[in-house]
Amino acid sequence: MADQDVLRAPNVVEYPFSRTTGPVIGAFFTALREGFIVGIVARDGTVIVPPVEYDPHTSESLTELVEVGDTGEVRSWAWVGEPLDGQPLGRPFAYALIKLDGADTPMVHAVDTGGDPSKISTGMRVRAKWLPAKPAGASEEEQTDPKGAVRTYREGHILDIECFVPGGQA
Amino acid sequence: MMGSERVAIVGTGQTKHQATNDGSIAGVVRQAAERALEDAQMSWADIDAVVIGKAPDFFEGVMMPELYLADALGAVGKPMFRVHTAGSVGGSTAIVAQDLVAAGIHERVLTVAFEKQSESEAMWALSVSMPFQPPMHAGAGGYFAPHIRSYIRRTGAPDHIGILVALKDRLNALKNPYAHLHEHEITFDSVKESMMLWDPIRYSETCPSSDGACALVITNEKGGDAAASDGRPPAWVKGTALRSEPTMFAGRDQVNPRGGQECAWDVYKQAGIAHPRDEIDCVEMYVPFSWFEPMWLENLHFAGVGEGWKMVESGATQLDGDLPVNMSGGVLSSNPIGASGMLRFAEAAMQVRGQAGEHQVDGVRTALGHAYGGGSQFFAMWIVGAEKP
Repeated sequence: MADQDVLRAPNVVEYPFSRTTGPVIGAFFTALREGFIVGIVARDGTVIVPPVEYDPHTSESLTELVEVGDTGEVRSWAWVGEPLDGQPLGRPFAYALIKLDGADTPMVHAVDTGGDPSKISTGMRVRAKWLPAKPAGASEEEQTDPKGAVRTYREGHILDIECFVPGGQA
Repeated sequence: MMGSERVAIVGTGQTKHQATNDGSIAGVVRQAAERALEDAQMSWADIDAVVIGKAPDFFEGVMMPELYLADALGAVGKPMFRVHTAGSVGGSTAIVAQDLVAAGIHERVLTVAFEKQSESEAMWALSVSMPFQPPMHAGAGGYFAPHIRSYIRRTGAPDHIGILVALKDRLNALKNPYAHLHEHEITFDSVKESMMLWDPIRYSETCPSSDGACALVITNEKGGDAAASDGRPPAWVKGTALRSEPTMFAGRDQVNPRGGQECAWDVYKQAGIAHPRDEIDCVEMYVPFSWFEPMWLENLHFAGVGEGWKMVESGATQLDGDLPVNMSGGVLSSNPIGASGMLRFAEAAMQVRGQAGEHQVDGVRTALGHAYGGGSQFFAMWIVGAEKP
């Protein structure tokens, strides 16, 4: 059989799904909506941010949610010189591991230094730049675009913190 | 084949099956696992290995969910395995777990199966469009309805057989606090008058879409003896069997699949059973659409070919009949798909342990748990007994 007799066709599979966060991850996202950050106290006293439902060492159920700071320290970072569509910032930025004040584990988020890679370093202080709270009567349409890339108000999403910026006292 | 070690089920656990469980996927599996451990009077540290099963990942859209469930299932630092055989997976998963004990590899294995159907729509997830052909838009009911019509044509079974099965299972479910559907008002007429979805399958003859999980703690002889001496009688595994068939094969009989027939004889032989109708006290079988009860009664050799519907009509499979079937309310009353097979296996164990509460059948010594999956092409069965084999 000649090669041209072998047919090929596109096969795009699309299907709708939903997610239920449960009581722990759910508490993290609803706290973001209210403008603060929570972690959870592990069996050994470690404060894990974002919180996890089960102890990573003993597998015990964890329930003690605690508020941590929205300021912290960069523990490690990687520069994104050419941001892609859907990434947190449109200009060059850093993805960083940020240990928030009061937390024992670092959390990944974006750091905006105005596009300048010389202005980020391990150990530097950063603070969260929050989206504003959603005012009463705000319509759904102005909230997000269909891909969720443009956000106006806090709604329970990791990008309710737009990004972190240099600054923030310990 | 059985391994060299005797195997005992010393703990069972399940969630309240429901349309939407507000927990995360981890929270749902966790609840069943905690209940099984509590029943077994064990802690996470007592478990040597974890075996998890669920139906296609596409049902929730979480690829390989076992990757993130290790902490929820106490598997950190321990072996963890994933099993997948479509709707029969809950049964196959329990068998893989028991094999690890039978082979002498582990002493205490936790096995868990789940589905969270509320995260998507499993019925249509099976019917995505494929190139080079029009979409079938069949769903599971559309796929199995022709098999049922063929059964009816072959046997001359009257229309009310499916209604009797649905009514029985839904009434049994009223005695099971974990069942998803508790239809207190159900009657023969309400089933008969419910909407025809896929002729001859009516709405009330169809399984629900459920969120839920099931878990078992499986141990070796030493663990089984320890539980027994503590006044917590285990269920002893007397036989396990698995069979597979291809989906698309013109010579295959989907009404009475050879894989199911041979799987049943295999598990009976291991358990020393020559006359299953006389020697087995009750059966939990995988009946997602009511007519599969008479079909599987024949496939599992409880009735002669063409006679299964008569056994249903006689009342033999009622809770007070001589071979109760689906005492828990079955898949027709709760269907967290990946867990549904393990729930059948768990109910068989609960019955021989005398733990089934209001749906307990008096004096059960030997019970069959049965699951099937795919296009009636995967079969998993176990026989459990009150006496050590």
